[in-house]
Amino acid sequence: MSLTTAIRDRDVTELPGKRDEDWRWTDLRGLIRKLPPPSEPFTADIGAGPFDALASDRRVIVNGRGADPIEIARGKNAIVAARFVSRGAGVHVARLNVIVGPDARLVLLESYESDSASISQASLTITLHPGARIERIVLAQDNAEAVNVSQAEVLHAARARFAQTVVTSGARRQRLETRVQHPGGNAELRLDGVYLLADKRHADQTTIVTHAGPDGVTAQLTKGVVRDQARGVFQGRIVVEEGADRTDARMGHHALILSDRAEVDAKPELEIYADDVACAHGNTVGALDEDALFYARQRGIPEAQARALLTEAFIGQVIDRIGHEGARDAVRAWVAERLWD
Amino acid sequence: MAAVKQTVEHVESLEKYKHGFVTDIEQDFAPKGLNADIVRFISAKKNEPDWMLAWRLDAFERWQAMEEPSWAKVNFPRIDYQDSYYYAAPKEKVGLKSLDEVDPDILETYKKLGIPLREQEVLAGVVGAPRYAVDAVFDSVSVVTTFKKELAQVGVIFCSMSEAIREHPELVRKYLGSVVPVSDNYFACLNAAVFSDGSFVYVPPGVRCPMELSTYFRINAENSGQFERTLIIADAGAYVSYLEGCTAPMRDENQLHAAVVELVVLDDAEIKYSTVQNWYPGDPQTGKGGIYNFVTKRADCRGDRSKVSWTQVETGSAITWKYPSCVLRGEGSSGEFYSIAITNGRQQADTGTKMIHLGANTRSRIISKGISAGKSSNTYRGLVSAHPKAKGARNFTQCDSLLIGKHCAAHTVPYIEARNGQAKFEHEATTTRLSEDQLFYVMQRGLSQEEAVQLLVNGFVKDVLQELPMEFAVEAQKLVAISLEGSVG
Repeated sequence: MSLTTAIRDRDVTELPGKRDEDWRWTDLRGLIRKLPPPSEPFTADIGAGPFDALASDRRVIVNGRGADPIEIARGKNAIVAARFVSRGAGVHVARLNVIVGPDARLVLLESYESDSASISQASLTITLHPGARIERIVLAQDNAEAVNVSQAEVLHAARARFAQTVVTSGARRQRLETRVQHPGGNAELRLDGVYLLADKRHADQTTIVTHAGPDGVTAQLTKGVVRDQARGVFQGRIVVEEGADRTDARMGHHALILSDRAEVDAKPELEIYADDVACAHGNTVGALDEDALFYARQRGIPEAQARALLTEAFIGQVIDRIGHEGARDAVRAWVAERLWD
Repeated sequence: MAAVKQTVEHVESLEKYKHGFVTDIEQDFAPKGLNADIVRFISAKKNEPDWMLAWRLDAFERWQAMEEPSWAKVNFPRIDYQDSYYYAAPKEKVGLKSLDEVDPDILETYKKLGIPLREQEVLAGVVGAPRYAVDAVFDSVSVVTTFKKELAQVGVIFCSMSEAIREHPELVRKYLGSVVPVSDNYFACLNAAVFSDGSFVYVPPGVRCPMELSTYFRINAENSGQFERTLIIADAGAYVSYLEGCTAPMRDENQLHAAVVELVVLDDAEIKYSTVQNWYPGDPQTGKGGIYNFVTKRADCRGDRSKVSWTQVETGSAITWKYPSCVLRGEGSSGEFYSIAITNGRQQADTGTKMIHLGANTRSRIISKGISAGKSSNTYRGLVSAHPKAKGARNFTQCDSLLIGKHCAAHTVPYIEARNGQAKFEHEATTTRLSEDQLFYVMQRGLSQEEAVQLLVNGFVKDVLQELPMEFAVEAQKLVAISLEGSVG
């Protein structure tokens, strides 16, 4: 069962659904009764992307077309915007290869947009060479009727550093998945996420990190806010294989539910086959702290403003971890716009 | 590193399973295999009324249409359900009147296991010493239940399931299968068709059960499965504490234990259910033999302010696959789950709990301590969910895993589903090994390495041990020590 085979065979019965363990909270099979028509090329103007001003190089991938690989040679630096655009209610499939050479650096500013009830699938393969550094920022702003599945496979390397922050406002169904092959060898990994969901939107952030060698570090922090009838999903799995000693892995997921009918589902998993490790995860789901709200109000801050302030502070912790200053400001502004409406 | 290495060696050289003896007695068997006639045979053997037989046959029919689940993190060869005896009972003498008429071999068995079946033995010694009533289940049948008279005086019914079906059909019909429906899952459905015996407890309104109740399960016969069914009802304002213990002989082939435990808790009532599970774990080197412990345990907190507390110490079984759960339906009801799961040798355990918050202001608490050693695998799997109506639901979960040795595995798989904005869920989990620093610290204070490890492991599981009733806490502490004999506790 996978979206790929379902699209290839144009057969909705092959879509992953509730009965598939990894898709239990992101049911595509129950949602999609009929696949939209195959993708058509789109040539009209698509306007500006969210990261245009920050990037030195751009990939604009419209309806799956135009995904030239991104390659950064040894020791080079680059800031590349990769913009995935879906126009029209088709089935759009895109593949993108990213290769960062030894001791090279890349800031990858990735974004998703759609305008209708399309089904979009993006597959990325991101390869790091020893000593490489990548900071990946993903900003997903999909249409409320769209289905979007983005899956990235990250091949990490010794002494390399991969840091990512995924920020989303959800879609009809949305899955942003990252799988990391972590070789250990003092490689560092940071996987963060933010979701801000309203109305009937859904967002699923899934990460699977496999520590295959000793001395690997993984830090994860995901925070989400849901309101109305929205649904936030977090699935994080850390696997420590036999022999991956001295692995240090920490995962945190914290969510605020701001309405009576919103939902948060979480599954933070640890799968450990080595004994000399320090692994931990924490997960909390709840409402805004009434005491903090009360405190803010008695200092003269109106309730709505106090709520926004506390929520912004809650999310701010993740945004502060973004290394690239321009991207950090852009994400902060994007979040603020959605919290202060 | 030296200390840890020795720890690992000690664990490997742990004491052999001491309950592994076989009792040689005459037994009645149903023919091997499973079909509708076997179901009829079991029902007839137990002189059951027609409604019970119909219930079993219906379950059997549904079971045949079901598929064996495979989602747990455990590996085992496919079970051949036709290659097992579904009914094994010690040959009974007609008209058993007192304990003296019970087969002396069986009495000897329980004596060896340290289970007091004679009331005077329990009472011997200090006046006011803690007492507990025992229902002893040997293979498929309950052989004796103690203290029945004294319990009857306060209105508490404590008897074997087969007796309850005959004597209290109104209660059994009302509650049996109301918590775990017949086709709830594959193994529960199989159990509904072929269950042979188990314990039945009813505590009337407002009664605090004057003593601990306990069931002791013993699998003795070869190639047989044990399918017991326990039903405990605490009526409004009642309280009962129930203990369960289990052992089996050492055998090379695997035996299936598929039990169902149903707890019904009405307004303001409380049930405390404690298990010390010590089924034969199989050969630690080859992994041959041992019990498959596939059990469905569920509590239904139907009443407002009702409370259920599950405490389990899981040290035995080749494979453990169970999730004692609480359905928190009543307003303000609460559920607790305290668990110690120890795996060693080649044992596999996939265990945890489900806390299903349906009512307003329901609370739950989960404390799980997993220890894996040898080449074993230990998984915590748990669900905490809040229904949209469960306003003010609270959960706190803590899962800690301790790894001893390079070849064992520990997994944590929590599922958290919050469906309203007034639920508050907190979960934390850690996985570590025994800390070198702590070992060093304790040892430089003058403790031997063995004592040091014992102290640390005891500290690790303390939160759970202190939830056990006194009699069991002592046994459990010993079990923890034996399971990780030597340096580890």
